[in-house]
Amino acid sequence: MDGFVDVSVGLTGFDSFDLHATGVAALYLETALDQVGTEAFERFLDELDAAGGDPGRLEGETSRDIARAITHLWYLGVWPQLARSVHTALGREKANVPFTVSPEAYTEGLVWRTFHGHPAGAKAPGFGTWSDPPPGAPPVPRVTAAGRPVGKPEEDREEEFQGDIS
Amino acid sequence: MSASPRADGQPAGGGRGTPPHHRRRYDVIVVGAGLSGTLVAKRLGDQGWRVLVLEAGTGTLDTWPGHLDAMNTYYAAAAKVPNSPYRPNAAAPSPDVLDLAGLPDGGFRASGYFVQNGALPYGSDYLRANGGTVMHWLGLTPRMHPEDFAVRRTFGYGRDWPLGYADLESHYRAAERQLGVAGDAQEQSEAIGLPFPEGYVYPMHRIPRSYLDDVVAAKIDGVPVQESADSPGTTLRVVTTPHARNSVPDARYDGGRGYRPAGAAGLPNYGERCVGNASCVPICPVQAKYNPLKTQATWDSRVTLVTRAVVSRVLADGNGRAIGVEYQAYDDPAAPVHTTHTAEADIVVLAAHAIENAKLLLVSGLAGHSGQVGRNLMDHPVLLTWGLMKHPVGPFRGPASTSGVESFRTGPARKRRAPFRIEIANWGWGWPAASPGSDVARLLGITGDSGQPRGRGVFGEELRRRLGGGIGRQFSLQFELEQEAEGRNRVTIDPRHRDRLGNPRPVITYDLSDRVKRGMAAAKAVSDRVFGLLEAEDRTVYGPGPFSPGHFRFEGQDFAFNGAGHGAGTHLMGDSRDSSVVDHWQRCWDHPNLYAVGCGSMPSVGTSNPSLTMAALALRSSERIHRDLTELHRPVTVRTGGGDRTAASRVPGPAPSPHSHPQQEVRP
Repeated sequence: MDGFVDVSVGLTGFDSFDLHATGVAALYLETALDQVGTEAFERFLDELDAAGGDPGRLEGETSRDIARAITHLWYLGVWPQLARSVHTALGREKANVPFTVSPEAYTEGLVWRTFHGHPAGAKAPGFGTWSDPPPGAPPVPRVTAAGRPVGKPEEDREEEFQGDIS
Repeated sequence: MSASPRADGQPAGGGRGTPPHHRRRYDVIVVGAGLSGTLVAKRLGDQGWRVLVLEAGTGTLDTWPGHLDAMNTYYAAAAKVPNSPYRPNAAAPSPDVLDLAGLPDGGFRASGYFVQNGALPYGSDYLRANGGTVMHWLGLTPRMHPEDFAVRRTFGYGRDWPLGYADLESHYRAAERQLGVAGDAQEQSEAIGLPFPEGYVYPMHRIPRSYLDDVVAAKIDGVPVQESADSPGTTLRVVTTPHARNSVPDARYDGGRGYRPAGAAGLPNYGERCVGNASCVPICPVQAKYNPLKTQATWDSRVTLVTRAVVSRVLADGNGRAIGVEYQAYDDPAAPVHTTHTAEADIVVLAAHAIENAKLLLVSGLAGHSGQVGRNLMDHPVLLTWGLMKHPVGPFRGPASTSGVESFRTGPARKRRAPFRIEIANWGWGWPAASPGSDVARLLGITGDSGQPRGRGVFGEELRRRLGGGIGRQFSLQFELEQEAEGRNRVTIDPRHRDRLGNPRPVITYDLSDRVKRGMAAAKAVSDRVFGLLEAEDRTVYGPGPFSPGHFRFEGQDFAFNGAGHGAGTHLMGDSRDSSVVDHWQRCWDHPNLYAVGCGSMPSVGTSNPSLTMAALALRSSERIHRDLTELHRPVTVRTGGGDRTAASRVPGPAPSPHSHPQQEVRP
């Protein structure tokens, strides 16, 4: 398990703490083993090891496609279609179709976190949060609605952030 | 909620999903439990009439466990399209946007429920389930503009309404109350020219603008743009859109009585505020967005809902009066097994969606005098443009669109090209390019066709950084064009094409007129100018291919359009029985006790998302149906001494004005 997460750190660019915290690492390991078989999976680990742990240096197309698939899984919760040649080479006895591993896998997709977002349809950030600039964005003047005390909640919110949690 | 025993001790008409064997006669039968049907049933039930609502689809969504099941289905769906949370139903099939695929050299192929034989695809879906298509609507509720009702008289194209904005204004307000609209009436009035009564405010304050709206407004507000070299400038302005979505109630509403938002069906104290799930289409997890199930929760016990009841025919006598309907009851949505039943009523209301209403009239051989049934099929063809801003804009947050540019909806340019409204899309390239999933696949080197060689792909920190930097800057614009009524765009039936229960599948012939295409060319020109003002990197590409069934070429330029889910016009209203299917009450000219309600009645659709107008029309028709029923029952009510229990029970109960209890109840 820890080995799988270690490999996944190199694939995804997220650290092991983040990956464990999704709660789906065991499910993904199980899925990968089920989809490509133990033999191909271990060959993938060996080749990745030989490439110094850098998936970008994987040369065998089968291992490279397994790297793509596991990364895709982490980012979206979806096991993708494998390259047709890889599907054939692995002699897989299952349909080569993409599928979402579980409803939770979708909501734990890492892609949303790359841009400080949340999965559409889950982990709702709260009323009006979409008005705030995302990290790295400049503030812009806001047109306020007539009759709506827009300024007040803003001030309140600033106060909330004045505390120090250390 | 709907199968409560009748207060007078008679057996209930039928429980949920159980055919009403005991009682075969109702005051009104409503076909379809979507937005229109639900509102008609609400009004008539409140006025004391016994209403049978027959819904072709299943009724699982109105319980909290059923809703959670739909959420999980959505999470697990490979493509998060509008119908993705809702289970397929072979007995009452729904069209799906995934039924269409573009061909490599242009053209399209259609599979699924619709049979399509037109030059271009009809790209919109709907949902046959309790609650109807409004279960997956975005929830935008702009009113139509006064000039939208008279496009023939004013601009020389399409068809005119037999009604005007002024006739509908009070019903717009009633619909805004029923749906719980958040908006800024003053802004709508100033920016668009919509007339409101003095001092009118919406039930709730407007939905806050997105950061993206503010970014766009800062760059384009007040800037005039020309859509072509010889056209006058049109001044751009970002305007907040009214939503049927829970915001902050406005204490000034209803003369200072305020407004209480309606929570979720099955969990009423939940969802009284939009919390920004960013999945309005296809499903709001907390149900802060209006859906008809909320209204159903307040139905009077005189309203009986029967789900899994596919109306197959409207029955009429030799004098053209509707008698009732024949319907097919089924238990298992996957098995082609049903039993056939009939139900009778004084008035039949078809509220099954524009295309299903037309289909039912055609199957039944009714309302045929004008020859217009099924014709004039309309939608809002949508042109998408997309690009990257210079800095992060926070995509995939909040409602799909919170503001738009309304400057191209009106005015003399309509004489030559279709008008359009521009929605600023808060969900990145979700619609135009299936982001963010496609971005991940592309960077990993995964091609759409698994037979093609794959790219090497990027991994690790570089992948994370490039995704974040790219997706975070995504935005898109959605141009919703008005499509005018054209007789050639139509729904027909063909006995060779049937569904599992033997009902005909809709055969659709669809195309876009040159005036719609000229509108798209103007929209693209405006988009180019806006992208320039935003200093955005334009990534818009229109070409043939599997994901562009709506591809076409016009005057040397490539375009691709999508459906908006706004099917309309198939039983349009007019002022003559020779040229229209229904009158201004949505009552069939040929059958005085048969109504066909919904967007199918609209002779023109303007550029406004049509659900609010549809709701206003349904509320207006309910008034006429109430009067019809009262007139029908007048002879019965004078028989006071007969002790005829049946006759006495037919007298409707006290009929409160539909406006006397403005506060929508929320049942515990």
